[in-house]
Amino acid sequence: MAATKPRLSSFSRNISALHSSQSPGVKYGPNGSTFVSTGIPDLDKILGGGFPLGSLVMVMEDAEAPHHMLLLRNFMSQGLVHNQPLLYASPSKDPRSFLGTLPSPASSKDDKSRDRDPEQEKGLRIAWQYKKYMGEQQPNFDSHRDNKQDYCSEFDLRKPLERHYLTGPRVDCFSIQDSKNLAALQDRCATFLAQFQRNDGSSSLVGRIAIQSFCAPQCEHSNMEWDMLSFIKSLKGMLRSSNAVAVITFPPSLLSPSCTKRWQHMADTLLSVAAIPDEDKELAKLLSGYQDMVGLLNVHKVARMNTQVPVILDATTFSIKLHKRRYLVLECLNQAPVDGSSGSSYGTSGSCSGSSKTGTLDF
Amino acid sequence: MDNQSLNLLDRALGFDQQSEPWSLSGRVVVIEDCVETSGSFVLHQLVKRSLAPNSSNVIIFVAFANSFSHYDRILRKLGCNLVAQMDNKRFIFFDMLMLRGPDGDQGRIGEGTLVSLYEKIQKKLSGLPGDKKNYVTIMIDDVSLMEVAANGASDFVLDFLHYCHALTSEFDCTLVTLNHEDIYSSMEGSTFMLQMEYLADILIKAEPLSTGLAADVHGQLTVLNKGTSHRLGSLGNKIQNFHFKVKENNVEYFYPGSRV
Amino acid sequence: MAETICRALRDGGLEGEHAPALTIKDSLVSPFGFDVFTHVLAQLSNYVLAGKSQSRGLVIVAFSRSPSFYVDLLKKKGIDVASSQKWVQILDCYTDPLGWKNWLNAKDLSEEASSLSKVWKDVRNLDKLYTSIIELGKGLVGQGNGRFSIAIDSVSEMVRHASISSVAGLLSNLRSHDRVSSIFWLLHSDLHEVRFTAVLEYLSSMVASIEPCTIGQRGDLENLSLLEQNFRKGKFHVRFKRRNGRVRIMCEELLLELSGIKFTSVSSEEEIINQRLLPKVQFNLQLSEKERTERAKVVLPFEHQGNGKPIQIYDGRRSLNENNDETGKLPTDEDTDKGQIIYFRDSDDEMPDSDEDPDDDLDI
Repeated sequence: MAATKPRLSSFSRNISALHSSQSPGVKYGPNGSTFVSTGIPDLDKILGGGFPLGSLVMVMEDAEAPHHMLLLRNFMSQGLVHNQPLLYASPSKDPRSFLGTLPSPASSKDDKSRDRDPEQEKGLRIAWQYKKYMGEQQPNFDSHRDNKQDYCSEFDLRKPLERHYLTGPRVDCFSIQDSKNLAALQDRCATFLAQFQRNDGSSSLVGRIAIQSFCAPQCEHSNMEWDMLSFIKSLKGMLRSSNAVAVITFPPSLLSPSCTKRWQHMADTLLSVAAIPDEDKELAKLLSGYQDMVGLLNVHKVARMNTQVPVILDATTFSIKLHKRRYLVLECLNQAPVDGSSGSSYGTSGSCSGSSKTGTLDF
Repeated sequence: MDNQSLNLLDRALGFDQQSEPWSLSGRVVVIEDCVETSGSFVLHQLVKRSLAPNSSNVIIFVAFANSFSHYDRILRKLGCNLVAQMDNKRFIFFDMLMLRGPDGDQGRIGEGTLVSLYEKIQKKLSGLPGDKKNYVTIMIDDVSLMEVAANGASDFVLDFLHYCHALTSEFDCTLVTLNHEDIYSSMEGSTFMLQMEYLADILIKAEPLSTGLAADVHGQLTVLNKGTSHRLGSLGNKIQNFHFKVKENNVEYFYPGSRV
Repeated sequence: MAETICRALRDGGLEGEHAPALTIKDSLVSPFGFDVFTHVLAQLSNYVLAGKSQSRGLVIVAFSRSPSFYVDLLKKKGIDVASSQKWVQILDCYTDPLGWKNWLNAKDLSEEASSLSKVWKDVRNLDKLYTSIIELGKGLVGQGNGRFSIAIDSVSEMVRHASISSVAGLLSNLRSHDRVSSIFWLLHSDLHEVRFTAVLEYLSSMVASIEPCTIGQRGDLENLSLLEQNFRKGKFHVRFKRRNGRVRIMCEELLLELSGIKFTSVSSEEEIINQRLLPKVQFNLQLSEKERTERAKVVLPFEHQGNGKPIQIYDGRRSLNENNDETGKLPTDEDTDKGQIIYFRDSDDEMPDSDEDPDDDLDI
């Protein structure tokens, strides 16, 4: 049977190692790090808890598909739901209008993606000695399902975020199309982050920065590679001393290869999204669940704050699916059962993903 | 510290229990890494070795990549207390994270930034008491961010590295730099990395395994030790290659296939 | 041979001639350039000291090593440093090439080194550098006709601060100065575009290239021992532009040892070089003695007729000794008179002209 749950393996252990804090919006992790949720439950699991405060997340866009928006929207909504102030910058003339597309958490009455697990298990006949393990694999925070505010909400992409979250000083929008140089954006980030200065001790207020399509061609700074690098470096410096997380998305196809490499090195967490070809019979044969796939997500680097140990994931390529057309779900890529006649066996998804790194396939 | 057996990296660097604990005086070490495999752990190992209790080394650490607390936490797990060493004046930290040149002529800022950094380093060196002057290690983390700080003026960065090289011959200090080799290999006609490799006496390259990433083996190191070339009488260069696994309090080095 | 080039530098240039100039060229895969440079430097110094050379002084333009290094180098080669200031001076472009140091510590250099060197703070201005080198040299050899030699320890470093044409200008001006006896410099070929290397080769009378013994990929870790070997020895190719217009090509093997670099001759290499000079063709262009006599024996077609014998038309069946054939082998006698072409006409309509040999009207 093809497992539809993402491989939890060591990450379920990490989750249990995260201690809840008083505010539901953050969780404490090892090495003195504090996590905030990505807004996508599966991504939190993959990354070992979420995005650590003080880190810089970069998402490499695929010019052929807007999947980075899915990640960005959930990230932004999650913060607003937890009352975490947000600074949003985009190349559009009116960034505020984007806020109307942010998803709302699903109410407990609705079907949620997690509900599918017990349904499936009813159909399984599990040997008694393994039943105890089945229970363990449930994510910890399921037990808090009744709490009004989960660490990570299940966002319903068909339901827009309630208006009251978007008003007030909590949300600051900034257009990066016009500003001739990046100094204005840098100042804006500096003032924003000043609210979240990290003092040794309690992390009271937590902030989120979302910068969309940072090197988009309509921005005047888009061909000033060194200025953009300088901005990212100073943003990272400011983040390190703040209780905040910044997510920057960018299309690497618009930068020179060496500049892209520099950006990749600067990221603490590096993700990339990729489009998949439509109506591709070969892929349909190769991957199970191809019909439901929206795109692919690759995890290149996972932030390691205050430690030198790298994170080696079992799988780095995931398919992005919309469960019930509402909930964002990430799954390890599964290879469809190979029929004996076909010669191809362990193909990777490399052909369809735009990124160079492809993960191992599960089967 | 002496009781600890030397690991493969130590040996590749020429450390020998019999001789003085720090045999890198006057030498330039260049660490190369890539996005897939970070080489920072080598830097941490050198910091730890340099600040070993039986040595009198002083480290001038120029940090473009991370804040002091990051290194502090990591080195603490490795058994080295940077805060205490700072108090002992054995660890001098230059925080370059927030370095931002004054607005103005792009070219000149780059040079100006680096010239003033050089002056600061030289002042520190000259200001050290006599006995400490001979065992200084200058570490730069990392050179690609120094280019960003210099607004892309790579030539000035090379000039700066040259001046640091001059410091190694003047003060017999060690220079350790970290740079990301994949940035330059994806640039056509770039000779920046080659220039650094010419400067290097020891070249340490961290790469993923050809078979990809694995939980047990985090990558491979190739160490090229050019012999004692600054003192004449070169023995020729030695190359070593081995695998490594990075842990919180230690790094394991082992030859391929011989993991215990 | 390394000895040859050292002797060429020692002998210097004739009156009115450009000074002999040597380019030492290496790359990261066989990084012995600097070792060869110091070897040549030591040799020349010995000649100068012993009075055997045309030049009476040596100016070292130091970009990549400090003056103290050169002092130590001379000491190690057994050269007395105390009296060295009479015949060697170092133009120090290493310690502070761009004037970044606001002050120079008196303790920066040892006493010996400071007496031998002059700090140069402006490597971007090659005109001034030129003047300075000449002055330093003249200071060594006096105002008369004495000549001096120049050693530049890294042209690669020099060109980082100045344009290719200004570097070329400096070098050619130095070469053509009447007080300069000989000049040599070091170049790292992989740091530059091909044109710069070509420019330097154009400007020199001797080009010494250092190449690896075995060419493998730099990142080829499977052949670690092979790579290691490339760091212990290499091939030393010299192209020597002689006065008579010919190019002398020499090849040696070099080994890096404790005491310095050692050159050993590799005779088999010469053959390879010569073969490389000739274009690769499938013809055998060389004739052995036997082949030469055979050739002399052959009567050419236009020679043998018209002396009384009946005129014959060449029909292609005679054995050919006189021309090269594709295989380079002599056809044996058995091969002749065998094989005929039997021609069947396609149809009777075929024009009889097609049978004719167009050369029939010629009396060959």
